[in-house]
Amino acid sequence: MIAKVFAVAAAALALAGPASACAHPKTSLSYLEGQIMCPTCHTTLDMSEAPAAQQIKAQIAKRISECWTAKRIEDELVGNFGQGILAAPPHKGFDLLAWWLPLGGVLGGALLLAVGVWRWSRTREPEPPEPDEESDPETERRLDELLARLD
Amino acid sequence: MTRTLKLTGQGLALAAVAGLLGLLVWRLTHQAHPPKIGGPAPNFALRRVDGTGKLDLASLRGKPVVINFWASWCVPCKGEAKMLEQAWQQYRSQGVVFVGVDYHDVASDARTFLAHHGITYPTVQDGSGMIGDRYGLTGVPETYFVDRKGRLVGTHIIGTITNQASAFQRGIRAALQQ
Repeated sequence: MIAKVFAVAAAALALAGPASACAHPKTSLSYLEGQIMCPTCHTTLDMSEAPAAQQIKAQIAKRISECWTAKRIEDELVGNFGQGILAAPPHKGFDLLAWWLPLGGVLGGALLLAVGVWRWSRTREPEPPEPDEESDPETERRLDELLARLD
Repeated sequence: MTRTLKLTGQGLALAAVAGLLGLLVWRLTHQAHPPKIGGPAPNFALRRVDGTGKLDLASLRGKPVVINFWASWCVPCKGEAKMLEQAWQQYRSQGVVFVGVDYHDVASDARTFLAHHGITYPTVQDGSGMIGDRYGLTGVPETYFVDRKGRLVGTHIIGTITNQASAFQRGIRAALQQ
């Protein structure tokens, strides 16, 4: 029990240390863990317990405690590991294609679908008119006869 | 009008399929194949971790080279660091150059590792892991031997050299003999 209390106190102190260094952190570890990849296991940090991922998490926690912004931390990691460390490609240059191509594909598909539906509705043949039973004189005559017999 | 539209749609679909096929072919033809023993060692020019500037493997042509891939987060790498430094001190007078390649690592942690273990041979940073991939690395630590002509020789050591000391010695001798 005493050991548990000491462990909790030690953890609280460890957390309190960085917090005291930066009163108003500009980002959070949980946010960046979803934005940064583990270089050895190719998943985001929040999905990995690999040693390399643990090391990067520690580095991020250290930078957060120094009041670094998410952008600055990401830039440092890109400088260290290359662009592949980012879970999502940046919104500039050639990497923009990764953002716009799927959107273009969806819009193109929707456009094709709309054109297809429009064409289908235009070329559909009109249904043949239903036979007008009332205008058949023979049937009317026979019906009158039948009714007259019933009277 | 309708025919043109249909042809355009078919052309676009064909172009998309051709593009995807092209990507598949490109991916298959550009896959990294591990280098073969006796073949050329993949070259690299990487930033120094232990100093400034870059180190180009090609600039070491004419010298036997021991290339050790490691990382500060790698526990076994700590175990072999001392033996690597001792081997470097032993063989450097014979012209052998040791090069550490810091793989997928935070540079500041790597520097702390080097200082802690007293590593004095040149070390470069492979943060993206691109060079490790070219060597067909399966993990760290791994060690390669390069002869004076820039060819890979000896046996590529997977794991620590402390557990494979004789293979390590044979590798250095093979690099020296050529």
